[in-house]
Amino acid sequence: MKPSTTCCPKTPLPWNEPAVGGRWSRRSLLLTAGTLPVAAVALPALAARSQEAAVFIRRMVDRALEILSRTDRSREARIAELERLLEEATDLDLIAKLVLGAYWRKATPEQRRRYLQLFRKMIRRQIAANISRYDGQRIEIVGSRDIDDRDTMVRTLVYDSKRDAPYRIDWRVRHSDGRFLIIDVVGEGVSLLITKRKEFGEIVSAKGIEGLLTAMARKIEGNDDPPRARS
Amino acid sequence: MAIRKTLAGQAQEREARRCASKVPLPEFPMRLARIPTVLLVLGLTLAGPARAEENNGDPFEPFNRAVFAFNRVVDGLVLKPASELYGLTVPDPAKTAVANLLDTLRAPVVFINDLLQGERERAGITLSRFMINGTLGFFGLFDMAAEFGYVRHREDFGQTLAVHGIGEGPYLVLPLLGPSNPRDAIGLLVDSFLFDPMGYLASTRARTVRTATSAVVTRYELGPSLDELERTSLDFYAALRSVYRQRRQAEIRNGAPPSDAGYEDIFDETFDDMLSEDAPAVE
Repeated sequence: MKPSTTCCPKTPLPWNEPAVGGRWSRRSLLLTAGTLPVAAVALPALAARSQEAAVFIRRMVDRALEILSRTDRSREARIAELERLLEEATDLDLIAKLVLGAYWRKATPEQRRRYLQLFRKMIRRQIAANISRYDGQRIEIVGSRDIDDRDTMVRTLVYDSKRDAPYRIDWRVRHSDGRFLIIDVVGEGVSLLITKRKEFGEIVSAKGIEGLLTAMARKIEGNDDPPRARS
Repeated sequence: MAIRKTLAGQAQEREARRCASKVPLPEFPMRLARIPTVLLVLGLTLAGPARAEENNGDPFEPFNRAVFAFNRVVDGLVLKPASELYGLTVPDPAKTAVANLLDTLRAPVVFINDLLQGERERAGITLSRFMINGTLGFFGLFDMAAEFGYVRHREDFGQTLAVHGIGEGPYLVLPLLGPSNPRDAIGLLVDSFLFDPMGYLASTRARTVRTATSAVVTRYELGPSLDELERTSLDFYAALRSVYRQRRQAEIRNGAPPSDAGYEDIFDETFDDMLSEDAPAVE
């Protein structure tokens, strides 16, 4: 059968990504990660936005890993630092609005303010709940690609000593007012933003915006308990 | 919002239709016609035209939610405890060996689907993996092929159908099997009963052991992600439905980044206009 690469959506988009896996490509991945900042500094005129975005992700990821690996410091201190990093690296308000999508327009200004507060609280709870899951994973940047005139996708691979294959995390980075902000995280093709949007949309269409706010508040209450131990 | 979506969406649909008309479908084996489940699934497809936007592509949601609840009970009683036991008692190297063995047993199915998708290079990788791991890897227990740069990937007939332009149809939650849709359910049947040599060669008992092991291992590997999703979601059912679809799309694309048409309209610049915080509510 003739390969369908000429017309079907399966055709991969141009993406400067070296082949994944194997000893050699592993090494080339390291090289890519190492040379990106150099390239950005050495060729300021040529440095594409996609490369700058990759450097930005590299920096943010390194800081996060640095915080996570400082197990000598208290849990609270690390959570506080991660929250500061989150505020600096992501546009939480924009993420929250995109998650609500068209329903944002239907919410009253008062509901919008409550929603933004609750959303922020939920994300913070998740950070706190997941902080103990860090287990020495390494993250490498494998490529980046401009999606439109303001968003760039940065592709990273996460190496986990417990799994033989790395997993993909793509970061959607928005460039606005001369700075970069993360607006979506896509793990193995699953977008956090889209997942949350579908889920919240289902609740709003069934129970209205008040129903969603109630469910969010209840979830935050319920998550007050420390997370269950995992195997 | 629907209007905004249409331009990109229509282009994609046209593309898909063009593909569907251009690429001949593999001939459908007659043996399948005898399987009543296929008829049931097809019946469901015809009964529920997928008006994706109106009902989330899930016209049978009440039915699906009931099956989902049933599956969670079964999972809590059997699969989850079994996977936790597996996680606690089996040493890590043995876990890797089990996963490798399952992967090797699956290689023929992956190979056939690689070929049906016209992915000759990937078919070559699958074949090489099977040969290397079946010999140097001690009957598939060790993934030696990865050392040679042949990295594992998966394919199934559901993905093959998708590559040839068959849409997913309405969302379905299958008893015991979980999230699916008519396309992927048919794919599962074809893979299990037609493409899998074990279906012809192995005893019922061997097949049962393999299926059970595969279920436990898969549950074990998905465990942390599933728990995480359940813990962080307000509506686990809706979240899992979305995750399933996105995962399948990514698998169909073989991990390539989504084309912009596949992305949501929320990233349109026009969408920004409505995001101010003090604008009055619109009915």
